[in-house]
Amino acid sequence: MQNVTEQHNGVKNERKSLSVMIARKTIRGCVILGIIALILGMYFNTISCGRQYISLACNTAKQAAINVEHGADAVSLANRVMEIYRSLSEEDRQKVGTDEYRAFFGEISSDPEYENILDILKGYLDNSDVYDVYLAMYDAQSCTMVYMADPEEQDRLYPGEWESVTEKGMMKFLNWDGEGQLYDIDRTSNYGWLCTAGIPVKDENGQTVAFVLTDISLMNLWHGMKGFALNFMVLMTVLILIVTQLMHRFINKNLVEPVGAVCDAAQNYVKDRREGKNETDHFANIETGSGNEIEELALAMAEMERDISEYEDNLTRVTAENEKINTELSLASRLQEAFIPHEFPAFPGRDEFELYGIMNPAREVGGDFYDFFLIDGDHLGLLMADVSGKGVPAALFMMVAKIILQSCAMLGLSPGEILEKTNQAICSNNQEDMFVTVWVGILEISTGILTAANAGHEYPVIMHPGGEFEVLKDKHGFIIGGMAESVYTEYRLTLEPGSKLFLYTDGVPEATDSEDGMFGMKRMLDALNSDKEASPRQVLENVAAAVDRFVYNAEQFDDLTMLCMKYNGKNI
Amino acid sequence: MLTINKGINEGTAVFTLEGRLDTNTSPDLEKELNENLEGITDLTMDFASLDYISSAGLRVLLSTQKAMAKKGELKVTNVNDTIMDIFEMTGFTEILSIVPASKEAGREE
Repeated sequence: MQNVTEQHNGVKNERKSLSVMIARKTIRGCVILGIIALILGMYFNTISCGRQYISLACNTAKQAAINVEHGADAVSLANRVMEIYRSLSEEDRQKVGTDEYRAFFGEISSDPEYENILDILKGYLDNSDVYDVYLAMYDAQSCTMVYMADPEEQDRLYPGEWESVTEKGMMKFLNWDGEGQLYDIDRTSNYGWLCTAGIPVKDENGQTVAFVLTDISLMNLWHGMKGFALNFMVLMTVLILIVTQLMHRFINKNLVEPVGAVCDAAQNYVKDRREGKNETDHFANIETGSGNEIEELALAMAEMERDISEYEDNLTRVTAENEKINTELSLASRLQEAFIPHEFPAFPGRDEFELYGIMNPAREVGGDFYDFFLIDGDHLGLLMADVSGKGVPAALFMMVAKIILQSCAMLGLSPGEILEKTNQAICSNNQEDMFVTVWVGILEISTGILTAANAGHEYPVIMHPGGEFEVLKDKHGFIIGGMAESVYTEYRLTLEPGSKLFLYTDGVPEATDSEDGMFGMKRMLDALNSDKEASPRQVLENVAAAVDRFVYNAEQFDDLTMLCMKYNGKNI
Repeated sequence: MLTINKGINEGTAVFTLEGRLDTNTSPDLEKELNENLEGITDLTMDFASLDYISSAGLRVLLSTQKAMAKKGELKVTNVNDTIMDIFEMTGFTEILSIVPASKEAGREE
């Protein structure tokens, strides 16, 4: 029970973690998607806003340039400024920003045309979002930008004042072919990212003498982007939470709960089975309702549960039947044993002879048998027989044969007649071609004369007093049950007091060891002769022990049946 | 273990047995014979490689002998000494047509 509970808990945890796991995966997926969307959004936002800024700068410059060209003489102003600038020595130029330097361009600052241009530019500066609108010219030789008119009041640059510029940016402006928009983006130490757009001012020869330039700070763009990202992230977080929640509910309903139901059913099934309940329908009662693989799983499990239940029923029934058959077999075995004389001494008070018999069927019931009976006060009937085949059919046949043989003997027939009558009786109704080999002998107790006949059975073994056990190669007739017309020759021999007769079936000489070697007649005779004074019981025990030693642990397929009689004579 | 080799040709059949013909293997031989004896009038059983025959094997021989007696002949050849002892003991020598090995060989030459 402890074990079951633990398992139960284990699965519960697993189930919780399944939904948590899916929620985590969902969040992770959403976050990755969100980051990609953010990056893409920012990229396109930047491009789009950047273009707007650039357009604004370019348009402002264009408008201003048109006005400057029409409303003032920018060309002459520009030429004069550049003339002065170029006339200055390098040393003088380094004085830029000082009053001394500004004095070089004094005549221009006081020129009404300069004021006029400044006013026009100021008008544009005040009415647009640009950072500055000014008139300036690049000097390719010194790689500088020389200012001519700058309306911006805070950091106003006076005519002739200059700043170093990058050659790349400068050449872009100076070599512009008039196509598209003329602008350059550069990072400045004072103003951060700046976009400078320009329109050239040309003299009557088409020579560029100056540019109307606009500066626009891209820092706004950056701030705008930060705002965008923040809003986006807040929105995404809310969306992710909502999606995760929805996914969580969906998965719980459609996956975790149905799987849980199957799981519960499985646990209950296992639990019930451990408690011995076999008739269950845990899986049949699952309602997953999902119509997907889980429902298929549940259906398959239900079918399996039913099949196992049916299989167990069958198994139980078959086992019960087997049990019954076994019980019947064991009953049959006892019945068969009871039919064979097995109590010794068999005839208390008859000292003229001693008898002992062993019958060990290889299966519950066998086809070998021995028998002995007093036909009258002076005649002892002895039988040893072996039915072809094994098991129940042999046992049934053996019972029939035994009864007929004994009945014939009790009628006072001679051994040959007994065999002939029995053979005829069995042949008349023997469709299965079963047969039995029989040795039958009748001992006249008073004289020791043994009359015998053999229907295909093993040779009897006889020990005369003072001698050894020897095989008696007696005259053989055909087996009983083979041919109805068989005749059996009788023979007689006289047993002196002290003689012993040993009868057996083929199970003795043909007992096999693990290498298919046979016990054989020689070993049998050796065992018989190992103790010449042995009683019939000891004789059989000696042979049985020798056979056991020989076969060791090889399985035996044949019955082991033996009978030994010692003739003591009429008076001892 | 019993290996059954059979050669069947227009009413003549030769069954060559190898191994042990006992309780466990007799049903195999009985089945083979039941399936193949239709129309056979001359059946030869070659026992050259047969080591042992039990009473269950004798039963199959008896059935076959009875069946063949009605329509032809059953001959048993190359019987070794052990099995010949069993045949003699059980009286099968009296009902079976046992062809001595030398005679069989002589016929083939």
